[in-house]
Amino acid sequence: MVEVLQQIINGIAIGGVYVLIALGLTTVFGILGIAHFAHGSVSMFGGYLTFFFVTSWGFPLLLAILIALLVGLMLGVLIELLAYRPVRDANHINAFIVALGLTMMVEGINLELFGHEQVVIPTDFSRVFNFGGVTIPELRLYVILAAALLIAAMTVFVERTKTGQAIRAVAENRDAAILMGVNVKTIPLVVFAISTALGVCAGVMVGSLFAIAPGIGEGLVVKGFAVLILGGLGSIPGAVVGGLVLGITEALAAGFISSAYKDVIAFVVMISVLLFRPQGLMGKA
Amino acid sequence: MLNVSNLRVSYGAIEVIHGIDLQVNQGECVALIGANGAGKSSTLKAICGLVPATAGTIEFEGQDITNQSGHSIVKAGITMCPEGRQVFPQMTTLQNLKMGAYPRKDAEQAADVEEMMDMFPILRDRAGQAAGTLSGGEQEMLAIGRALMARPKLCIFDEPSLGLAPKIVAEVGETIARVKEMGKTILLVEQNSAMALRLADRAYLFEAGEIVLSGTGAELQSHPDVAKAYLGH
Ligand SMILES: Nc1ncnc2c1ncn2[C@@H]1O[C@H](COP(=O)(O)OP(=O)(O)O)[C@@H](O)[C@H]1O
Ligand SMILES: [Mg+2]
Repeated sequence: MVEVLQQIINGIAIGGVYVLIALGLTTVFGILGIAHFAHGSVSMFGGYLTFFFVTSWGFPLLLAILIALLVGLMLGVLIELLAYRPVRDANHINAFIVALGLTMMVEGINLELFGHEQVVIPTDFSRVFNFGGVTIPELRLYVILAAALLIAAMTVFVERTKTGQAIRAVAENRDAAILMGVNVKTIPLVVFAISTALGVCAGVMVGSLFAIAPGIGEGLVVKGFAVLILGGLGSIPGAVVGGLVLGITEALAAGFISSAYKDVIAFVVMISVLLFRPQGLMGKA
Repeated sequence: MLNVSNLRVSYGAIEVIHGIDLQVNQGECVALIGANGAGKSSTLKAICGLVPATAGTIEFEGQDITNQSGHSIVKAGITMCPEGRQVFPQMTTLQNLKMGAYPRKDAEQAADVEEMMDMFPILRDRAGQAAGTLSGGEQEMLAIGRALMARPKLCIFDEPSLGLAPKIVAEVGETIARVKEMGKTILLVEQNSAMALRLADRAYLFEAGEIVLSGTGAELQSHPDVAKAYLGH
């Protein structure tokens, strides 16, 4: 039992990372209908940047994260303006190709700037908490708390603020949103800024919990899309439930079956769910 | 108040509005009638900035709004209840109403929500329900309420009675009459020409992207062409 709880806790930590990635993907998909494949690599860029500020410039961790976040906000705006906006009214395949090209470009930039060695963001959270035999490393606990906080903030933003409601409106019916007076040119900028900032947070979490290396971002974005489909396309609660289900399944598979097969097992579970609920766990039929 | 002159609209290479002129004066209710595909919706969409005008000008209160972005046209005081209602299906009735007030910054929005719910009591019963689950008639009331939440000067309705039961159609007609009494200027497109001409001070008849006839509601009602083609007698 303790073993199971232990794996579930581990699963919640990685699941939280998946949720943050998926939240960015789902809001972008919701308003623009594009699969933003570069999201994982951009997130890793944020992780690398944090690593660089901490190790090369000796910044305190929080300051490094803060700067990486600001860079993420701006990067999101630039990506929307320069990469996706020009193909907005074109055939969907164009945006698809832009997304793939952007992924290669960002992976290339990461490789050029930060090298091919894997890096771990150093933190001094070395304590380990013990709750009746279930151990939680301090860092893992903070990652879970931070993810929970960000998910809550995102939910409140979308549900309770005017801008959040405008984002929902554009996702549900773009023309009607225009008739409500929503500026549909600025909303995608806001969405990309927020999504990228959430991605940077995920990148920092991966970089401190595990490691960042070339290719990790691409793997992560595939997981992110898996979460979207599992949870229900365009649904924020779906992204949260889907991310946690995927994370916990993976952790249980790694702990009790084989860590080499954890991805396979996770995808088998996902496909099984979709056989019975093709619209995803929280999606509308 | 609204002055459209020589408006042309195209979709790709195909022109569907071939240079029309129409006016709406302050406090008037003006109806656009005509067969399906005659270009009524395209005209309204050009006014609201949803499709570009390829030629001509659209002026609102003396200000040129031709090809302005949709949100600035809303700010100028024009809102539209679009064809097919277009409520936000996953938002609640209340959230839909609040979306209507999106451009406003004043503190009276909550009071206006109450006013809309007094005007359409069914919306109060459905306040917490996803708008997509409302009946067609309820969605139409919501769409009208949502448009009024912007406190527009000019209210545009595109086929508000389309697909509704006869009893609800009459209710929609009464609602539009009430909106007029509130002092709003109205531009109304209706398949139900009899109802439109009864409500309208003036009307324009569209045919294949052109205006072929205009006059007071009563004049068009008794015009032989209109009577034969649209009023069924
Ligand atoms: N999005 C569009 N793309 C191409 N053609 C369109 C589009 N919308 C309308 N049309 C065409 O424009 C013409 C006018 O349509 P519309 O303005 O909807 O007429 P109405 O509202 O009077 O029924 C029709 O021939 C219609 O097929
Ligand atoms: Mg129409």
